[in-house]
Amino acid sequence: MNTIPAAAADGRRPSGRDLSERALGALLLAPAALLLLVIVVYPIATLFWNSLHGVDNANPAAGEQFVGLKNYLTAFEDSRFWDSSLHTVLYILVTVPGALVVGLGLAMLANMPFRIKWPVRLGLLLPWALPLVFAGLIFRWFFEYNTGVVNDILRRFGVEPLQWLSDPNLAFAAISIAIVWKSSSFMALMLLAGLQTIPKSLYEAAEVDGATKWQQFVEITLPMLSPALFVALIFRTITAIQTFDIPYAMTGGGPGDSTETLAMYIHKTTLDFLDFGYGSALAALMFVLSMAATSGYLKYTRRSSGRSGED
Amino acid sequence: MKTWKILLAAALSTAFAANAMAQQTTLRIFTGGQQRPDVMRKIADEYQKRNPSVKVEVEVGGATSEAQQQYLSTVLTSKDSALDVVLIDVIRPAQWAAQGWAEPLDAYLGADRQKVMGQYLKAYVDANTVGGKVISLPYFADAQFLYYRKDLLEKYKRPVPKTWDEMMETAKVIMDGEKNPSLQGFSTAGAPIEGTVCTYLVPLWGMGSEITKGGKLNLDTPQARQPFQLYGRMKQAGVLPKNIAEIPTDRIRIDMQAGNLIFGMSWGYVWNRLENDADSKVKGKIGVARLPHDQGGQSATCIGGWQVAVSAFSKNKAEAVKLVRYLSSPEVSEMQAVMASHLPVFPSVYKDPDVLKANPWFADALPVVESARARPVSHQYPQVSDAIRSNMNAYLAGTKTTDTALADMKSRLQPIFR
Repeated sequence: MNTIPAAAADGRRPSGRDLSERALGALLLAPAALLLLVIVVYPIATLFWNSLHGVDNANPAAGEQFVGLKNYLTAFEDSRFWDSSLHTVLYILVTVPGALVVGLGLAMLANMPFRIKWPVRLGLLLPWALPLVFAGLIFRWFFEYNTGVVNDILRRFGVEPLQWLSDPNLAFAAISIAIVWKSSSFMALMLLAGLQTIPKSLYEAAEVDGATKWQQFVEITLPMLSPALFVALIFRTITAIQTFDIPYAMTGGGPGDSTETLAMYIHKTTLDFLDFGYGSALAALMFVLSMAATSGYLKYTRRSSGRSGED
Repeated sequence: MKTWKILLAAALSTAFAANAMAQQTTLRIFTGGQQRPDVMRKIADEYQKRNPSVKVEVEVGGATSEAQQQYLSTVLTSKDSALDVVLIDVIRPAQWAAQGWAEPLDAYLGADRQKVMGQYLKAYVDANTVGGKVISLPYFADAQFLYYRKDLLEKYKRPVPKTWDEMMETAKVIMDGEKNPSLQGFSTAGAPIEGTVCTYLVPLWGMGSEITKGGKLNLDTPQARQPFQLYGRMKQAGVLPKNIAEIPTDRIRIDMQAGNLIFGMSWGYVWNRLENDADSKVKGKIGVARLPHDQGGQSATCIGGWQVAVSAFSKNKAEAVKLVRYLSSPEVSEMQAVMASHLPVFPSVYKDPDVLKANPWFADALPVVESARARPVSHQYPQVSDAIRSNMNAYLAGTKTTDTALADMKSRLQPIFR
């Protein structure tokens, strides 16, 4: 009976418990770790391995030989890689701020004290819940030359219909509108959650002090919202880097390759051309772009949150 | 004694039933949304009726040749056995042979090989044989034709145009006369899709040139510029739709069916839809002719059509081959001709009275199909196609000139045809 407390007094017992707890922890984490290994680490490792090899499935007889950085060097000399990357960056520059502004507006609207809240919330959820490629198809029909609703409105106003999908600039605009429509509701949902954490008392105090609505927005809403804003921006930027479905459904990259994004070029290289080696190198480059953007944001948020911690 | 007999009978019948269950084979066919899956289903039902031990499932995939191939590439690169029989575009057998996706059929045909292959139109024997091996069997033939509004041509007393210039002139006269703003002159595939490859090739061939010569790229000729110039003239004349660069293959059929198109360059299936669809406004008003050509050239057309291949990863190859041989039989060719105006792959079926009743124009279609030409053959065909169609598309959209489109096309094709 007395041996157990004696052992504890020994100091051996707690360490034993520690170990078994650690073992149990590891055991419980193992399935998740294994899953991550299989569905995240293994594919990424395969991708990098492929990117260093000639894996041309259009010509499997050639075999898979190590080619070093050849695929990457090819990419740097490939004008289509640079063009599609440039298009991707343009989509990021236009649609991320676009979705932010529209999303913030929607979130403020949804946060207003309506008596019946569900229609607004549902309106926010619907575009988000719609599969991307459907959104792309719907907007393609909107912008269609003969039967699209946009040109129909233009005609009613006596304006010549525009070639939305076969003029490079108009196609870029049409695709950007579709992306902003599709992604701003996600922004709005994230920002709405942020808005609801801002205490009402701050606005009441500001009201008493005679602050205008605009001052309230700039001095209270925006600073209090900044953590949610950054998270939303990171998510939106990463998905913007991967822009694929909407331009794929709306123009298929046309006219020519003028609306082709990097993700579309990767898809074409791997699934159409079956050149998995080169396609993997392109995907690895996109991964680097994605990591760079994310770490940039993270660094910025860490700095700004550190500053607010000191205050 | 009696009980014993009953028991035995019961045991035997259970055994038989179990045996029959074990012998039931399920075959899965993959077909595209554009290749009349409804007709494929009817053909499959007929096959099931005759072969009760086989169940045939029809899986329907993407609406375009590329969308189908993208899906098939993922299935077959992962060596998935889900599909047994696959419908493939006439441009694919070389690629499928290089990839090892199709089970070569020589061993299954055995001594029949000569006899079986001898019945088809020669172009389809060539298209389905790669490096001496039979990769697939033809399901239906196809070529591009000029669909025209018979009623409008009669109204304006115009003959069926023989040259592109005649066609443009006729289209102008009719468009000016009808004063219908939705009526368009001539349409062909212009979107960045497979069909747009033929949009470039038809006028090129018409001038007696081709993309490659002896395996080498052959685009430094004056003829290589002609297709661009031809469509440029049509665009200037207002005969092409303004949004030509957005037009996919089936859009031509839809515009024609709505009565909004005078001339259309499209494939065999269009006829059946124009004559039989409930919403067709042009029933009995359509004629089909050879495609026009340039002055001094001759009419050319792209060979199309779909083949049936047995997946190399199928678990029921022997049964799948039997199904493929049925799908590629004169009987099925006739069914397709009547139900879908799919052009037959057997010369004899063109003369069949039922087929001619459903498609009177088939009487003159055989020489067109026989003269149809193949797109460049390469195991890298998707790159070849992409180089041609995206530059043709950019030209039609007005974002590239003849010079830039042709130069970009050449620079992308050069590494493939060295």
